[in-house]
Amino acid sequence: MVENAVFRVEGLRKSFGRIEVLGGVSLDLHAGEVTVLMGANGAGKSTLVKVISGVYARGGGAMKLGGKDFAPATPAEAMRAGVVTVHQNINDGVVADLDVATNLTLDRLSGSGAPAFFNPRRVRREAKIVADRMGLAIDLKSRINDLSLADRQMVAIARAMAHEPKVLILDEPTSSLSSAEASRLFALIDRLRAHGVAILYISHRMSDIRRLADRIVSMRDGKISGVFEEKPLDYEGAVNAMLGRRIHLDRIVVNEAAKTVLAVDGLRIAEGARTISLTLGAGEVVAITGLVGVGKTALAETLFGARASLAGTMALNGRPYAPVTPGDAIAAGVFLVAKDRGENGIVQDFNIYENISLPFLKRLSGLGVLNRGVERATARRQIGELGIVCRTERDEMGTLSGGNQQKVMVARWMSQPANLFILDEPFQGVDISARRDIAAKLRASSGGRATLIFVTELDEALETADRVLVMSEHTIVGEHRNADIDMDRLLAEVAGQPLRGAA
Amino acid sequence: MTLRELAIRYGFLVLLFGLIAYFAVSADGFASPQSAVFIFQSVAITGILALGVTATLVVGGFDLSIGSVATSAMMAAAYVMVVLEQNAVVAVAACLLIGVIVGLINGFLIVYMRVPDLLATLGMMFLLVGLQRIPTEGRSIATGMTMPDGSVATGKFSANFLALGRHRFDFFIDNLLPASVVVLLVLALLIWFFLEYTRFGRMMYAVGSNPRAAELAGAPVKAYKIWAYVISGVFASIGGILLAARLGRGDIASGNNLLLDSVAAALIGFAVLGASKPNAFGTAIGALFVGVLLQGLTMMNAPYYTQDFVKGAVLVVALVFTFALSHRGKA
Amino acid sequence: MNITRRILGKMALSLAGATMLMQAPALAQDKPAPFDNPGEVKIALVRYLSTGDFFQAYLSGVEAQAKALGVDLRVLDSRQDAALQADMVDQAIALGVDGIIIQHGLTESMKEAAQRAVDAGIKVVAFDVNVENDKIPQIEQSDRDLARLALEQAIKDNGENWKAGYVYVAGIAPLDRRDETWKEFKAKYPGINEAAMFGTLDNPIANSVANQARSVLSANPDIKVMFAPYDEFAKGVKIAVDEAGLSSDIKIYSADISTSDIAAMREPDSAWAATAATNPAVVGQVSVRALAMLLAGEDPGRQVIVPPTLITQAQLNENDIKNMEELSAKLPQFAHADVAVPAWMPLPAK
Repeated sequence: MVENAVFRVEGLRKSFGRIEVLGGVSLDLHAGEVTVLMGANGAGKSTLVKVISGVYARGGGAMKLGGKDFAPATPAEAMRAGVVTVHQNINDGVVADLDVATNLTLDRLSGSGAPAFFNPRRVRREAKIVADRMGLAIDLKSRINDLSLADRQMVAIARAMAHEPKVLILDEPTSSLSSAEASRLFALIDRLRAHGVAILYISHRMSDIRRLADRIVSMRDGKISGVFEEKPLDYEGAVNAMLGRRIHLDRIVVNEAAKTVLAVDGLRIAEGARTISLTLGAGEVVAITGLVGVGKTALAETLFGARASLAGTMALNGRPYAPVTPGDAIAAGVFLVAKDRGENGIVQDFNIYENISLPFLKRLSGLGVLNRGVERATARRQIGELGIVCRTERDEMGTLSGGNQQKVMVARWMSQPANLFILDEPFQGVDISARRDIAAKLRASSGGRATLIFVTELDEALETADRVLVMSEHTIVGEHRNADIDMDRLLAEVAGQPLRGAA
Repeated sequence: MTLRELAIRYGFLVLLFGLIAYFAVSADGFASPQSAVFIFQSVAITGILALGVTATLVVGGFDLSIGSVATSAMMAAAYVMVVLEQNAVVAVAACLLIGVIVGLINGFLIVYMRVPDLLATLGMMFLLVGLQRIPTEGRSIATGMTMPDGSVATGKFSANFLALGRHRFDFFIDNLLPASVVVLLVLALLIWFFLEYTRFGRMMYAVGSNPRAAELAGAPVKAYKIWAYVISGVFASIGGILLAARLGRGDIASGNNLLLDSVAAALIGFAVLGASKPNAFGTAIGALFVGVLLQGLTMMNAPYYTQDFVKGAVLVVALVFTFALSHRGKA
Repeated sequence: MNITRRILGKMALSLAGATMLMQAPALAQDKPAPFDNPGEVKIALVRYLSTGDFFQAYLSGVEAQAKALGVDLRVLDSRQDAALQADMVDQAIALGVDGIIIQHGLTESMKEAAQRAVDAGIKVVAFDVNVENDKIPQIEQSDRDLARLALEQAIKDNGENWKAGYVYVAGIAPLDRRDETWKEFKAKYPGINEAAMFGTLDNPIANSVANQARSVLSANPDIKVMFAPYDEFAKGVKIAVDEAGLSSDIKIYSADISTSDIAAMREPDSAWAATAATNPAVVGQVSVRALAMLLAGEDPGRQVIVPPTLITQAQLNENDIKNMEELSAKLPQFAHADVAVPAWMPLPAK
């Protein structure tokens, strides 16, 4: 099998400016096989897909399709050569205002040599052939807008298959599907595999991977960090290769929790998920880790009152805590540094001090009138404490680097004492030195409050936390004291392995 | 500070002073206290409307209904006094109530019914243009008018009410400062202070810039948006009160010219001091700018259509200042 | 006279009706066909302008005369949409009306629509819009006479030498006609010095004109006479004159009148000295009467001119006139115009 690779990538490189995203990736795809590509955010999966599908030009290396050189200049060229990609965003793959039949034959309508006139009957006839081959049971006359996400996905894939590709790339196709919808997709993938298509399947979901994978390729920091093809597949090894373990430069001196700050009991954050119970103590830093999409952000937002829970109770310092809005949470001393700071945190029209004071204006003003002196003094103090690189506290946010912007977000919420301090992916898009600064500051200031960070990268958890909790399927599946962690068990939990007796 | 930054920051103010200097030299009587006061008076109504619409611009919205709110308030004031024969207090209260109600409905439509702001307030505009005609079947309201049922309305505009548009306060010179100018200045100071120096104003800016971030910082985003429309509605109705007091009757009018002039003032305000965002000080300067131009041009006998042309040109220049020259243009 | 088959048919029908219904009211028999059976007559009023007191009063005149005749009146209002107004003429044709009154509009958009109506055998009269059609009588409130009466009064009050402000917006037919008279007067009396010309139609018009007039007055504080030949203009000028504190130094002469104009003219020390006006209700009545004459086969003439009346501040004060009704009652020349009144024509109740 290995010798007759349909598609082969050798030493592929790609840089954006000075940042190298792909550092020599080599990968084989075989006919009739599903190769799963795993990688954390920023590992370079999407860039790899875009180079293969002709969206980006490669920076170096070679690609071969069926033994011949393959260097598509445009997505259309890649498609014609037989490499078809269904992107993560379903709506990129279909035209929402047209009907299914037209969507299925769209590429023929616009390619060169297409007839100038639109003949609805011929279109429907051709579409029916495509749909039958795929086993697609959707009314060809219905409009895409009226279809469920899963059906749209099916149409997007069927549309891709109309080119009879040799290689099919699916980029996180199940990220917005329910499990029933996903199993229909899997049936379709099985059928394609039987037809001899080489499939590259990109996903974080362990259940998908268990269901489909013939091989697993793990990616990390722009390189292939592991290839697993011996049956039975070593899922934990793959997760380990994907998350990696660097040598920890700063070993943590683990704090023991003092009195309980937050007690969560029977909290349900998603329909059908198991409930969550946990306690957080004063002075400890707890990291919750898990793959993308396991409900980390949902849990963070639930604790912060930005999302309603389905069941369960919470208590803060012994008193019932049931925030309905973020305003309630802030008043109770529960702060959240939200992820995706550009969308959820930064007010772009505001300068540094205005961004820092935003949630605490009530405390910083008298009779509703702002006290700019106090605001600026607070901001100056925070800039010093977190080492934010800027000229003055009146600098615009747009002039700061990503790491410094994130520091401003952390500084905002550290400018007032908290009972519970939550950070959702605080190290996202942050360079290594800013990450160290933030982590050190978090630990140094952790006395008196409970600190909870949500991170996908295991390293980040291990570098920062006293305790590490593992989330999977919208619930907490494991707990580790960050002293002598059983790495195998932790990885198994991240990978969604059925818990063994010990747990 | 580079030359470019200086131009962005002070360019518009320099232009304004240049204009004043030019008119002072070339138009007799332009440079006098009376003339200055008159410029304020001529922009009082549109200025007040513009300050209101500024509040909605701050939260990232827009209010197309202000012109018709003003003329509806004018009709309401006339109706209350002339037909219902009530006093000035009742008339003013009725107008303000209309402003509050329209603001609440606009806010409700936009925040809870998710109608886009331009469409919701456009609908409201049409609704009000029609509504103001219903009580009198399309007649303008004046003392002695014949009602649809044939009776004659005998009520009068109360002297106190008319004083809002006609009374003049002594200010260095006797009878210099009209009440409407005082109202404009007070409201301008109020909204400026509110937006710049209170936490509510700051939050409104946050809501306009990044509603999600404002929400996660604990702001009741929906309430702030609705409040902005209420402010806009109330300011527009105050404009309507002054209009009624100046005209002394209820004139059927769509108020579209009021709307356009005040929106122009608010947009010109973006360029003042390089703010690149809606701001009360800029809006006031924008309104004055238009007032100075029109006063000067009229004194120099320029025909009316050149005035629209010049207004448009000023707006375009202001928008270029805002978007092309400032840093936000690059985003 | 162009008697169409439709009219002949109607005549035949009504003749038959008249002979069959002997107990029909005696009055009906006195009227020419088709007004012996007026319930069968449908007329339409197709309007271009409708907001404002003038147009409201005009409509009430049309309604009153239509009621007096007993005909079925349809009002189609295009609200200043020229294209829609033309479509509305076609709509009226489709409705099967017998006569159409075109009230204002643009020559360019209405010319062909009016011709289509005439071609369909419908009688048409036009008020204040020239549709360039010989078959269509023009109802006019003689704008030249309006301006002349007001300016003659200005000469009478102020002599032949004064500095004037003039309010004018070009391109509006009645204002253009009034402007012609103003130019004639300036040529005739070289002592009239036009210091400033201004004007705008931004609504509320009075408010916008007041702003302009204030500027003009501060540039030319020695203006003696303001000629504002449209009452909205005059109201704006009066506000400006009051605000400038020049009420006793300036006199305003205008055209048109309404209840609120009367109140403004009668304010103590009002600068508004006189206005020349045609009663819009009377113009409305004359429009219907001219159309009725056409329908009855009579000729109202190519131009039907409704003569204006001069109304001075002094007259209003002497007779203690407070509104339009009292104006009609106390100045009979204003209440009725002896125009288009054949013997059989029923007049609206006073």
